[in-house]
Amino acid sequence: MSEICKYTGDILEMSLEKIELLLKGDYGISKRSIGLLLLQEDEEIISLAKSKEAEKFTQIMEIVAHTKAHFHEPLSYIISQRRQEEASRIVGASVEHLPETRLPFKEKLSRMMIHPLTGVPILLLILYYGIYKFVGRFGAGIMVDFIEKDIFEKNINPWITQILTSIIPWQMLRELFVGEYGVITLGVRYAVALILPIVTTFFIAFAIIEDTGYLPRLALLIDRLFKKIGLTGRAVIPMVLGLGCDTMATMVTRTLPTKRERIIATILLALAIPCSAQLGVILSLLEGNPKGLWVWAGIVSLVFLLVGFLSSLVLPGDAPSFYMEIPPLRLPKLSNVFIKTYTRVKWYFSEIFPMFILASVCIWIGQLSGLFSLLTRALNYPIHWIGLPDKASVAFLFGFFRRDYGAAGLYDIKKAGLFTGNQLVVACVTLTLFLPCIAQFLMNVKERGWKTGLGISVFILFFSFSVGFLLNLALNILGVSL
Amino acid sequence: MNFVNKLFKGFKSSGSCCGKKEEVIEGNLRKIAIVGSPNVGKSLLFNRLTGSYVTVSNYPGTTVEVSRGKTRIGQDEFEVTDTPGMYSLLPISEEERVARTLLLREKLSIVIHIVDAKNLERMLPLTLQLIEANLPVILVLNIIDEAEKIGMKINIRNLEKDLKIPVVATVSTTGRGIDILKGRVEEHVRNM
Repeated sequence: MSEICKYTGDILEMSLEKIELLLKGDYGISKRSIGLLLLQEDEEIISLAKSKEAEKFTQIMEIVAHTKAHFHEPLSYIISQRRQEEASRIVGASVEHLPETRLPFKEKLSRMMIHPLTGVPILLLILYYGIYKFVGRFGAGIMVDFIEKDIFEKNINPWITQILTSIIPWQMLRELFVGEYGVITLGVRYAVALILPIVTTFFIAFAIIEDTGYLPRLALLIDRLFKKIGLTGRAVIPMVLGLGCDTMATMVTRTLPTKRERIIATILLALAIPCSAQLGVILSLLEGNPKGLWVWAGIVSLVFLLVGFLSSLVLPGDAPSFYMEIPPLRLPKLSNVFIKTYTRVKWYFSEIFPMFILASVCIWIGQLSGLFSLLTRALNYPIHWIGLPDKASVAFLFGFFRRDYGAAGLYDIKKAGLFTGNQLVVACVTLTLFLPCIAQFLMNVKERGWKTGLGISVFILFFSFSVGFLLNLALNILGVSL
Repeated sequence: MNFVNKLFKGFKSSGSCCGKKEEVIEGNLRKIAIVGSPNVGKSLLFNRLTGSYVTVSNYPGTTVEVSRGKTRIGQDEFEVTDTPGMYSLLPISEEERVARTLLLREKLSIVIHIVDAKNLERMLPLTLQLIEANLPVILVLNIIDEAEKIGMKINIRNLEKDLKIPVVATVSTTGRGIDILKGRVEEHVRNM
């Protein structure tokens, strides 16, 4: 068969031929390939050969060792180099490059996005207009206001309350639907009036950014910083996706090559990356309080870097190396953006909607049985500890269900005017770092195993409250009021 | 873009992924595997070939997900597998390991190696490895429109003669070249 890749007349080729002759088992692919993989000391193939080549195995491995001794560089390097030379020869014979006609503006822009000096301002610009203005102002501000005040509070809530009052005579049962934590007044309202517009605007912004091919460039930009915390730029992608939904992003950590990187990325996702709904609600909570927003962003980034750095010290393993394909920059296609946004919103919404309803029902049962007040009272201790009012316990209890649900709870408390500026920032920081939602917890367990998954969650529970405590303490001691 | 597709692949049909539906795909169908590095349009090609009837499940013994679907080409029905991205037969990541295991274990009638035509030179080494492994390879030069746009002219006949395997140029986003690819698959199977 293929004489394309024969490196005739040297020690490598001769060893390879010897190994080919010795191999007797059936491997599903050619003996030549198996021989090459053995020479490159592929562990899986070595153990496969060990089981299939009873008596000849030692002889084969001797040839491998002997061949290795002949070269300064690793055999895998030499083999891939020769293969690349062969590939270049073939391409050279069949491919012609015509001179480019257009000035490659795209290429210039692409380089600017990667270079730290120009790349960072571009990133900030994208974050400001894409996330802060579009998601925070438009989605979490204008749209939420409209849907919540004009549609729910003025129309739906009174209408349903009226209907229910006329058909259900028992106050207790009515509470299930239109009470303080009712299915309609809380569950559906949170899902439709708060989360839906925020998530939709976020996914639109994200789909546009993604469709242009910006993300791989962002990965290159941040690579250096990430290396310091034991991750490669490749890890940027799960992190950025985490801003959409941490649960999906945890699944994407699979693309990371080492186990060490996968664990660090999982911890960081669970701890310091807010998901879209949470991000939106927090942006709208801190809107009109720019100092608070800076403190929140600063603390969360600091935690991200610190925890990443510490875990890279604690977890043993090699420093990763980075290699990535860069697709060209493209103008986003409207149909792509639409389809992506639609499928994601649909998926997300169908995920949260039943959970929000379920949460309302659980709370209702909890209220009837007294369990709810027991839990909130228990939570009062850590809540007081970080300097927040009683009311916040409920939001944190929601947070156990989902972080975004908890963030929406804070939104209600702020609207009622129960927070001071400091308390608001402390609550936002703590809830951002707080335990991920149940879905993400399950994904952590599925991807990382019971021990690691559970360990990460317990760590985060303590860590988030400790940071809240320290922040509150620091603000008080320094006498800052945000 | 692609990684998100990959991710949503997991959700798209996850409702029907587990258990029963797997049995619908019979063991004696001819098999096609699509391989290539990430971001070259593997999943799009997979979708173009299979349409519906897609099942997504973990590859045995790993957490890496693999999509399988069915397609009819000419007279024959094929099972198509979308493998996780791979750069070489010498694996670095868990995903690459799964892709290789799949190539080793499953008796494949066709291995479609899909590459980004612009980066042919960097991606051709994997083609060489697949040929070397004696796998029935068809090389697909995808995103050929962008390669043409930057002034690349690829002599496909010449390439076929050099590599001694079928080579097809496609644009999986628009569907250009897919029919030719199907034709080459049909030919290849008939000559087996």
